[in-house]
Amino acid sequence: MNLDELLYSTYGFSSFRPGQREIIERVLAGEDVIALLPTGMGKSICYQLPAKVLPDSVLIVSPLLSLMQDQVAQLKKMGEKSVVAINSFLKPEDKEKIWSKLHSYKFIFISPEMLVQPFVKQKLQQIRISLLVADEAHCISQWGFDFRPDYLRISEILPSLRFPQVLALTATATDKVTEEIKEYLALEEPYVYCHPMDRKNIVYDTKKFEDGREKIGFLKDFVLKFNGPGIIYAGTRKKSQELSLLLTELGISSAFYHGGMEHQDRVFVQQQFQNGELQWICSTNAFGMGVHIPNIRHVIHFQLPTSIEGYVQEVGRAGRDGKPALATLLYAQGDEGLLESLVMDDLPTQHEIEEVFRHGAGATHLIDQGIVRETAFRVVSYWITKLPLEGVVRQIEQLRIGKRHQAAKIKELISRQQCLRKYIVESFDQQLSEKPKNCCILDGIDYSNFEAFSQPQEKRLPLEWQDRLRVILPI
Amino acid sequence: MLFTELILAIMKAVNRQRTISSPYHLIKGKKSGQTIQDIGYFGLYPYFGVLPKLDKKAYDQAVQRLFSQGYLMANEQVIDLSEKALELNIRASSLNGWKYRGNENIFLSRLSLIVQTFSHISQQVKSFDPVVTDEEVQSWVKKYLSRIQFRDLAVAQAFKEELLTTLTDTEISETHKMILMERLTGFGLSGLTWQQIAESKNLSILDAQLMAVEALHGWMAAIERSKPQLLIGLMEGIIQQSSLTETAQRTEKLFDRGFSLEQIASLRQLKSSTIEDHFVELAMNDPYFNYTPFVNSDLYEAIIAESKRQKTKRLREIKEHLPEASYFQIRLALAIKEEQG
Ligand SMILES: [Zn+2]
Repeated sequence: MNLDELLYSTYGFSSFRPGQREIIERVLAGEDVIALLPTGMGKSICYQLPAKVLPDSVLIVSPLLSLMQDQVAQLKKMGEKSVVAINSFLKPEDKEKIWSKLHSYKFIFISPEMLVQPFVKQKLQQIRISLLVADEAHCISQWGFDFRPDYLRISEILPSLRFPQVLALTATATDKVTEEIKEYLALEEPYVYCHPMDRKNIVYDTKKFEDGREKIGFLKDFVLKFNGPGIIYAGTRKKSQELSLLLTELGISSAFYHGGMEHQDRVFVQQQFQNGELQWICSTNAFGMGVHIPNIRHVIHFQLPTSIEGYVQEVGRAGRDGKPALATLLYAQGDEGLLESLVMDDLPTQHEIEEVFRHGAGATHLIDQGIVRETAFRVVSYWITKLPLEGVVRQIEQLRIGKRHQAAKIKELISRQQCLRKYIVESFDQQLSEKPKNCCILDGIDYSNFEAFSQPQEKRLPLEWQDRLRVILPI
Repeated sequence: MLFTELILAIMKAVNRQRTISSPYHLIKGKKSGQTIQDIGYFGLYPYFGVLPKLDKKAYDQAVQRLFSQGYLMANEQVIDLSEKALELNIRASSLNGWKYRGNENIFLSRLSLIVQTFSHISQQVKSFDPVVTDEEVQSWVKKYLSRIQFRDLAVAQAFKEELLTTLTDTEISETHKMILMERLTGFGLSGLTWQQIAESKNLSILDAQLMAVEALHGWMAAIERSKPQLLIGLMEGIIQQSSLTETAQRTEKLFDRGFSLEQIASLRQLKSSTIEDHFVELAMNDPYFNYTPFVNSDLYEAIIAESKRQKTKRLREIKEHLPEASYFQIRLALAIKEEQG
């Protein structure tokens, strides 16, 4: 079969992106595959295209609801009708229909917590699965920055599905994490595709300040010197709002984005940015998933990110069009304090561990009553099924050490004396082959590429409601 | 109507007989016996469930502002309205929460997606990211569009014309209408967030959200009156046939089949007090509700007379003078529409 023709007839693309062909060929040859592809490199094609050829259903386990929804929406936009998403938001009236025709869906998206429910498990056993896709597979690693205990449960369902062929997809993984993926997904000799982490068109910059005020001053100058589109990652929801206000006061178009906003508002902000109605988004790490904007020129971290993996993922949203993009990390003395609390706050406390132990893994009322936080509850309730109390405490202590290690690695970004690119690439157990001309702050940056500022145009928004309607419907 | 005006309007209506948290439950649309029954007692129908996502903190802040601005005063156990508040001329509102029950959001979602579709196809753009991600709304809109033959440009024009005409005829301010238009998305022009809308009009976010609901209720009523050919279709399933809560409807069905209050409670595995709430709700909504199985007509008359004499709807004060009546009987009697008595 001709893959190029298939690609063209399905997507209208005439050539594959790096890595895609290798991955798809191995999948179609029946091998288990672990694919490390940076975000924006067309991960989903790696299972969508094989699905056209494979005889039966493709089961995609997706740990993030927003990501699942995004992929379902993308498939539907392409005209694919045989898609279903099984998650805890499924409406009872839809369930029956879905279960009765489960075998007929080509793409079955499912969240890990649904996967292990006995009823669901039984339904899945009754159908034929050509390929199991573990999306965001790094979430399986307890050392990863994004550990989701539920995700470990994939390994529990593999035997009852008679160990289907597996494709594990992730954007970031160190050797250690890759090993864990192999182990938990019971992959004996998978083909591992490892895309170079390095994005040559991204220039790494860091700026250090005495205090927060200096940092704000720098940001003000920055947005008056450089055009967007750009993302400014703030550590907290409140900060994202403050920064957006700051930019607006300078006459620069911007909006904030965080998980505390209602869904419709988040969609609006995303579309405004996509349409070029906004220059800057000030956001928490909630922004970016499912955002397909090729020409982002800047990613600024106003606070230290919590891990190298997270940093690389966020920075990787810039310059998808291959043109130069600048990643600027801002640091003011004392910022480590915030980093420390952001990193450690997620971890279950001794008290929380004991509470979950006393009441059992089903005691979700602990969350409602505010006794145990949700993430902490999920982590502990997974481990209590595997370990005694002391074991869980030790496990969490290990996690704490791991997190501290991650934070230390991030801090090195600002204290580093040599090439940042080399440092980042090596954090992923890869080797830097060659440096681009414009590399990083330690090798010297030529900013002239980025220095472009056009006075913000006076936005002429319709003033009367009838005018706005006429702009929306010019018919 | 501004958010603080909403609180004052409710506090005025309950006339010192409820705590400061009762407007909160009403605005959120809490389906407890107390809230539902108050709607009938005090004529609070317009305000029921108009902001279901209202945050308690935001509410408390607004209340604090009313205190500090001298509209509300704490007077021992009760909250009093100041002269300033009583004299305040609260603008007439098109709110109709009891009727629309939050379904104005379905109306707006359908409209957004339809308008977005017309906007794109009329400008020869075939593919776009739907601004509404709810699958139920998406599939409803798909069916609706194919039914009205949306690819015909004349249909899009007619739709826009209906939109213009009905909204022009709706008796709400231009600001209200603008807020609705700003929640719509077209090709190259995205909808605005509550924050963006509020900022541009010097309102709070809650004000902007409340005005949107007000605008929708007014507009939907206008559409129901004039029944424009295309827009009326969007009202499908928006108005509930029964104004009862679903759970009260189930109790009503069992009662009609001859089961007693206690039997219904054990059948439905609910507390008797919950079933009592349902009967109060039934009494409120049905002008012909037969109360005699629960309270004999002498006692009923006595309760009504006592309430009138004391000018109160406080259960405790009535019970002090009529110890033979149960709280349930008093609530039921008070809930029955006046004309029947
Ligand atoms: Zn370098």
